[in-house]
Amino acid sequence: MELLMTDRSIPELFTETEERRCIDLTEHSIKGCIGCFGCWVRTPGRCVLRDDAVNIYPLIARASRVLYVTRLCYGSYDVPMKTMLERAIPIQKAFIRLYQGETHHFQRAVQEKDAVIVAYGARSQEEQRVFERLVERNSRNMLFKTWRVRFADEADVDAAVREEVCAWDA
Amino acid sequence: MGRLMIVNGSPRAPQSNSKQYAALFRSFWRGEAYEYNVTQHSHAEAFARLENAEHLLLVFPLYADGVPAVLLDFLKALEASPLRSRPTVHVLINCGFLEPRQNGVAIDMVRLFCRQNGFPFGSSLSVGSGEAILKTPFRFLVRRGARKLARAMQASRNRDICVTMPLPAQTYVKASEKYWLAYGEKYGTTREQMDSMEIEKD
Repeated sequence: MELLMTDRSIPELFTETEERRCIDLTEHSIKGCIGCFGCWVRTPGRCVLRDDAVNIYPLIARASRVLYVTRLCYGSYDVPMKTMLERAIPIQKAFIRLYQGETHHFQRAVQEKDAVIVAYGARSQEEQRVFERLVERNSRNMLFKTWRVRFADEADVDAAVREEVCAWDA
Repeated sequence: MGRLMIVNGSPRAPQSNSKQYAALFRSFWRGEAYEYNVTQHSHAEAFARLENAEHLLLVFPLYADGVPAVLLDFLKALEASPLRSRPTVHVLINCGFLEPRQNGVAIDMVRLFCRQNGFPFGSSLSVGSGEAILKTPFRFLVRRGARKLARAMQASRNRDICVTMPLPAQTYVKASEKYWLAYGEKYGTTREQMDSMEIEKD
């Protein structure tokens, strides 16, 4: 399954199917994680906050290819994307394992994935480097088999996303 | 010495481990300190107090390998605020993984915030095994780290300090399993339920 998740509205690039989904975060109501660990110890695999995020993290888990579109903020995903990624912890277990020589959480039914992140709004090359290091760390906790960051100017985001989606069909 | 503002950047601030880390740190701080939880969402009031502070200590957990969204929001508000002073920013971060280095990118995000906004960056204390360490005999290591951080801040000596449980990784994995099973038991949740592969199933 392929998942495009974006923090800004972009022109429609494909007809959605069960195997190809687009999530425009601007159209969803997603509260911040409250750090209660309920999804690990009370209702494993289910978040206690029943908002739109509960329909999105199963898609993140199921996707074998993800394309995230995000503004940068201090070398991080900006708040909307970061909020959603934080709400995706029900797809992990509380238990810890050794993975690539470090301690990390076990995953539930999560597909290994190829990840591309289109990142815009970087203020400096230094910010770009910090973000790349973040995504490299994410690769271990979010099961990115491969990952690539594509930095874009704000005016070029739509074109960059279109190219990346076209590459899905190549 | 000098006036300090401690900002608890945990999404569960009132019940957080960050609150305990802040309290531990405060026991070593000789001077005035004001505490603020980002979940209070009265940032403007906090910034008014920050105007007179010499130090700003951000205490937070690692979330999805970075700074929690709720703290990013606070930093964005701080950037947009008319604050005239530039207190030195310090970090006390904890993660549930054994390796404190997993906190490194989040600390660098705060450094970047400082560079982008003209705040001096001071010292950091990076805690691994941070979900449980305060409840173990290794708590003394965190106390020692917090004391070093406080002294470094008060002496304006920038230091990056790391603390974790001195355990082999496999031993830590077993210990953490025990910790989480006991956590689940409190809610009547079994190992099998916690180990479920299912996502969003009733």
